[in-house]
Amino acid sequence: MLIMPTPSSRMITYLSLALLLTGAVWIWWSRAPEGATTQGAIPAPQKGFLAPDFSLETAEGGTVRLSDLRGRPVVVNVWTSWCPPCREEMPALQRVYQDYRDRGVVILGLNSTVQDERGEALAFAAEQGLTFPILLDASGEATRLYQVRALPTTFFIDAQGMIQEVIAGGPMSEALLRIRVEQLIEKSRLEEP
Amino acid sequence: MLPVLNIGPLALQTSGLAILLGLWLGLWLAEKFSAKRGVPPNLLYNLVFVALVTGLIGARLAYLVRYPEAFARSPLSAVSLNPGLLDPLGGLAVGIISGAIYAQWKKMELWPTLDALTPLLAVMAIALGFSHLASGAAFGARTQVLWAIELWGTPRHPSQVYEIVSAAAILLILWPGKWGEHEPAGRYFLLFVALSALALLILEAFRGDSLLLPGGWRATQIAAWLLLAASLWGLHRLQTKPKTPTEIA
Repeated sequence: MLIMPTPSSRMITYLSLALLLTGAVWIWWSRAPEGATTQGAIPAPQKGFLAPDFSLETAEGGTVRLSDLRGRPVVVNVWTSWCPPCREEMPALQRVYQDYRDRGVVILGLNSTVQDERGEALAFAAEQGLTFPILLDASGEATRLYQVRALPTTFFIDAQGMIQEVIAGGPMSEALLRIRVEQLIEKSRLEEP
Repeated sequence: MLPVLNIGPLALQTSGLAILLGLWLGLWLAEKFSAKRGVPPNLLYNLVFVALVTGLIGARLAYLVRYPEAFARSPLSAVSLNPGLLDPLGGLAVGIISGAIYAQWKKMELWPTLDALTPLLAVMAIALGFSHLASGAAFGARTQVLWAIELWGTPRHPSQVYEIVSAAAILLILWPGKWGEHEPAGRYFLLFVALSALALLILEAFRGDSLLLPGGWRATQIAAWLLLAASLWGLHRLQTKPKTPTEIA
């Protein structure tokens, strides 16, 4: 059956075409100027931004500055000794560290000492046989800087210092940890000059 | 922004809670009005349930297929509750396919079913906005407007609030109680798609995390424009289609 367009359907067609044309003009007009998306330009504890820098004392008495690790994929795991999911995911972190440290991956166990007991934290690390650096955030500066609202919280940072993922809460499964670390390595490899 | 709600020893992800709440409210609203579209509420509920459960299983299986080595080293991770081990696209594909099979089996017609699902989609769009607001994702571009919010180190457009307001406005315009059963099947759903695509096309301009194509073109806006064109074409086809006796009545 042949359908003749009625005046109202013709009007709707014209309106639709006008809407599409206006939409196309809006897309053109609202193109992003160079540097308009601010991801990466400023440090913030969020995916797509530069990881805020910190310098913390290690359990062995040394100091680790995050920005000194630029060029290597870094996993920052914020934990306390009294938090059950933190304790639960530590063995997986240790296994992943053992498997990937030779490929340049750094795992930092950032103990939020401001809400923990230093002695308890060190005893737990020793009991678990953790060999990756344990950082002690006694003043809570790094915990605040990274706006940590849940324990554990894990930040996956690529070789350029950009946060690729934030996982709040836990425990993380070992597969998730391995996959994210592999993705960091792959990204760093692709972006090598 | 409140990504995590700490209740005693529990750390609840507020973005996930917003999605769950949206699903519950949206399904309640869709069921309430589905009979108007000729879709029995229990069938609609079962359809959503089947699509969700198979979608979740599919999302995990798709991840297993993509990263078999990681799961081989840690087989128990296959049943872990980590949402990070879900492949959204794989889950969506499996959910849609299994939903379509269920609908075919129960002889549910496509357009009335999509119309009946529209209130659920409209509420979920609002929930997604709240989820973004809670997690700080889908954030706005830098701005100096009076209503700017301080987020991630700079004043920004409250893009998540724009998202919530526009989705709520679409739900109000398309409030299921106002739209009768005498319209052509599919019009209600296509109107929702057209309005949502239009909102996305406009609001994406205020986002600070757009996926940019060469020349500064925003990929989401182009996808939204195509979706808008397709839905308007569908609405035009319905407008020029001869009415059935039920629609005339």
